[in-house]
Amino acid sequence: MKFSISRYNPDTDEKPYLQDYEVDILPSDRMLLDVLLRIKEQDPTLSMRKSCREGVCGSDAMNINGRNGLACITRVRDLKEPVVLRPLPSFPIVRDLIVDMTNFFKQYHSIKPYLVNDQPPPEKERLQSPADREKLNGAYECILCACCSSQCPSFWWNPDKFVGPAGLIQAYRFIFDSRDTTTKERLEDLDGAYRLFRCRTIMNCSEVCPKGLEPSHAIEMIRLSMLKDPGDSGTLPTHSVSPVRK
Amino acid sequence: MTPHRRPGPTGLPAWLVQRTSAVYMLLFLVALLAFFGWHPLHSYAEWKRWVAHPAISLALALFFAALLAHMWVGLRDVLLDYARPAGLRRALLVLVALGLCTGAASMAWLLALQHV
Repeated sequence: MKFSISRYNPDTDEKPYLQDYEVDILPSDRMLLDVLLRIKEQDPTLSMRKSCREGVCGSDAMNINGRNGLACITRVRDLKEPVVLRPLPSFPIVRDLIVDMTNFFKQYHSIKPYLVNDQPPPEKERLQSPADREKLNGAYECILCACCSSQCPSFWWNPDKFVGPAGLIQAYRFIFDSRDTTTKERLEDLDGAYRLFRCRTIMNCSEVCPKGLEPSHAIEMIRLSMLKDPGDSGTLPTHSVSPVRK
Repeated sequence: MTPHRRPGPTGLPAWLVQRTSAVYMLLFLVALLAFFGWHPLHSYAEWKRWVAHPAISLALALFFAALLAHMWVGLRDVLLDYARPAGLRRALLVLVALGLCTGAASMAWLLALQHV
């Protein structure tokens, strides 16, 4: 099977280039990451991130044949040849398939991704009704792999000002958390032309999310909750993710 | 958590203007097409009488106001996304605003002419 993998060494290369590899697919090769690890055995200079190998940690997010995804849950036999692998679009490249996530996490931290509650803590824990807990479904599952933000044109043009879909689905998670007491402040913090409203509802984020989440829906819910109390908003929709990729 | 409003272009008001103006323009155009389907106007005099009707003048004025507001938000968003550096963006925003104000003035003048 033919692979074209983006290579870039900041010490020796002026710009990234594609290097071709040809690998025999073994019966044990199920996911793209399995093959990438065998390519790395052939060429130890190839650099990439990976950790859990089962779509939980989000480390091996990359651009696979033009579409962001996780190498560890992408079935290699379904990919069209040559398989073109590039680092996440628009993020600064550290080396080969490794990108600098500093700005991505800066935006994530800017939404204060933690519970804020100025009430005295109860003896055991802050309880939630099952209905209130339901509202967090479809948002808390985000693994911060950056597939969505890196595929979002609005994030490409304003990465320093637009929070991006990954940060905004996390913002939704805390805005709609019944235990958080700063909903108003969180909404005010997102108002303005840039932080939330750069989203043009292109929906690439929902399209590529490897966990089947829908950040675009979360963004719409945040906009609507700026207008009125969302009341019983129910849960965020999710969609199934097929490992079949072209 | 300290709330802080950011200076500069607005978020929620612009978003609301864009959506409400789109809804009005859609309804107006559908109503207009339906009206012309039932009552086609054949002469300049008929058109002039139709536009001079107070309800039609008001609906048309609202339509052009919605169109210009919608254009402002849309063009503003394009410039906020793509125009760099900030000085060039500001200059282009002023040009767009001037262009749209000119459009608004000429539309207002044309509609006012129907009532003199």
